[in-house]
Amino acid sequence: MEFTTPFFREFAESYSERSGPRLAKTLRPDVSTEKLRKICKSHNAHDIKSSLKRGLQLNAALADGLDQQEVQGWVDVYVAYWNGAKAILAARESSGDDGQSSELVWTKVYAAWTELVNVLIRGYQNCGFEAWTLPCLYVVCKHLRVFASNADDERNNNTSIDDSAAATFQDDFDPETNKRQKLEDCARVLSRVFMLCQSDRAPLEESRKWGIYYIANLLLKTYFKLNSASLSKNILNSLRAGGRDMPSFKAFPRSQQVTFKYHQGVLAFLEENYVDAETYLTEAWNDCYKNSVRNKELILTYLIPCRLVTNHTLPTEKLLAQYPRLQKLFLPLCRCIKRGELHKFDLALQEGEDEFVKRRIYLTLERGRDIALRNLLRKVFIARGFEEAKDGEKPVRRSRVPVAEFAAAISLGSQERIDNDEVECLLANMIYKNHMKGYISRQHGIVVLSKSGAFPGTGV
Amino acid sequence: MASSQTQIKKDDKAAAASKAEAQAPEQKPAALEEDDEFEDFPVDDWEQEDTEAASGGAAQHLWEESWDDDDTSDDFSAQLKEELKKVDAAKKR
Repeated sequence: MEFTTPFFREFAESYSERSGPRLAKTLRPDVSTEKLRKICKSHNAHDIKSSLKRGLQLNAALADGLDQQEVQGWVDVYVAYWNGAKAILAARESSGDDGQSSELVWTKVYAAWTELVNVLIRGYQNCGFEAWTLPCLYVVCKHLRVFASNADDERNNNTSIDDSAAATFQDDFDPETNKRQKLEDCARVLSRVFMLCQSDRAPLEESRKWGIYYIANLLLKTYFKLNSASLSKNILNSLRAGGRDMPSFKAFPRSQQVTFKYHQGVLAFLEENYVDAETYLTEAWNDCYKNSVRNKELILTYLIPCRLVTNHTLPTEKLLAQYPRLQKLFLPLCRCIKRGELHKFDLALQEGEDEFVKRRIYLTLERGRDIALRNLLRKVFIARGFEEAKDGEKPVRRSRVPVAEFAAAISLGSQERIDNDEVECLLANMIYKNHMKGYISRQHGIVVLSKSGAFPGTGV
Repeated sequence: MASSQTQIKKDDKAAAASKAEAQAPEQKPAALEEDDEFEDFPVDDWEQEDTEAASGGAAQHLWEESWDDDDTSDDFSAQLKEELKKVDAAKKR
């Protein structure tokens, strides 16, 4: 919104209503190019400060409770916003021409927008900005991340040749870090904002601590993109440490809760802490907005491998059918696991390897082979049927299974001849991992299975 | 000597291949990573009834509860039965 009477009225009204979201709208950079042009042209570098000051002061009476210091703070904020708007306009206009401009326009946008974040931080530190204005900080920080990525992409497209040359000559030069320069800088700026929220000692109801999960989520997304699990852990630890003086997690908006739980779950997953991962991801799933299909899909991408390991369950085909991407990713594997087709399982794992590795679920899914083997052995057990029934008693499954039968099944499943020693080894492993209960009698070449729950958790 | 030379050549080739590999996928994943990110929700907060858990239906049948085959007609099950029969027959002989 250009800085004319309607803007000053909007500002004053938002202020008297104490409406953060409404005030935050005046700081949005994602407006039409035409609007941006109006904002930029409404003033020049000489008069912007004085006319903003005049305008805000004139309406200060309307915006009750707005003092001198705050006015000065907001003048600085809007001047910084105006500078940002000019940079964005320039960037949009230059990319409109031919796409390949010689100047790094988004780098300039990023610099201008970082300045806006800094001015806002100072507003909270020195000018008495209150916690209800936090949505302003959200809007500005959210776009800082976008601009950082734009700047990195632009630079990488322009100078990619120089970069790779440097990479080959220097061993300690990591081209990946250089590629993400601005995003890394953005992470540092955001972590200052995080501190700004966390260190507020005002009473809870008017504390910036209410901003902590929004900012933490932005930081987590940024660290994920930078591939830094350890920095992500720092955020979680820092939140845990401040836990006692924080508002209750359940009091935050669901969007923030679910986003946080998702990242917390994926982090636990990457650390192979599958029990915690399942808890967090299940919570994220249950509370997720029902229409956010992509986010539900992302949650399941980790929850499915997770449950395979924790309680050896597979998603139903009905569930997968609702998410074509997941169906493609998991259905072949799931079918092989269920049927016990070991060889086809290996093929399916190979087939999806790139996708699995990229999502960092490969190693977890690999563990599904044990479940496939368990199911295969279970089929042998089931196929052997029951002992001859004694009158009036419940039929009992035949629990002495020749190793040769297991060997035949395993050979069929893995599509290659497996000798008995190796089969015994696989069986011993299954028993050790508690997928199967019983013992091997080498003398007789049989496996004696437990009469109560030979395959724990599978109903037999 | 000859073998060590071919070894070097092989290494060169492998290095060249890995370099090509390293460069080729650079373009693609960037775009993919982009939509791998957890998205902003269209709304800030929502009621219990708009959560996945409460939307019912789907919530009931997320996970397979039984390991018993619904379709015993699949090829593999049939083959397995045949194999087991063969083992049984061999033993009786």
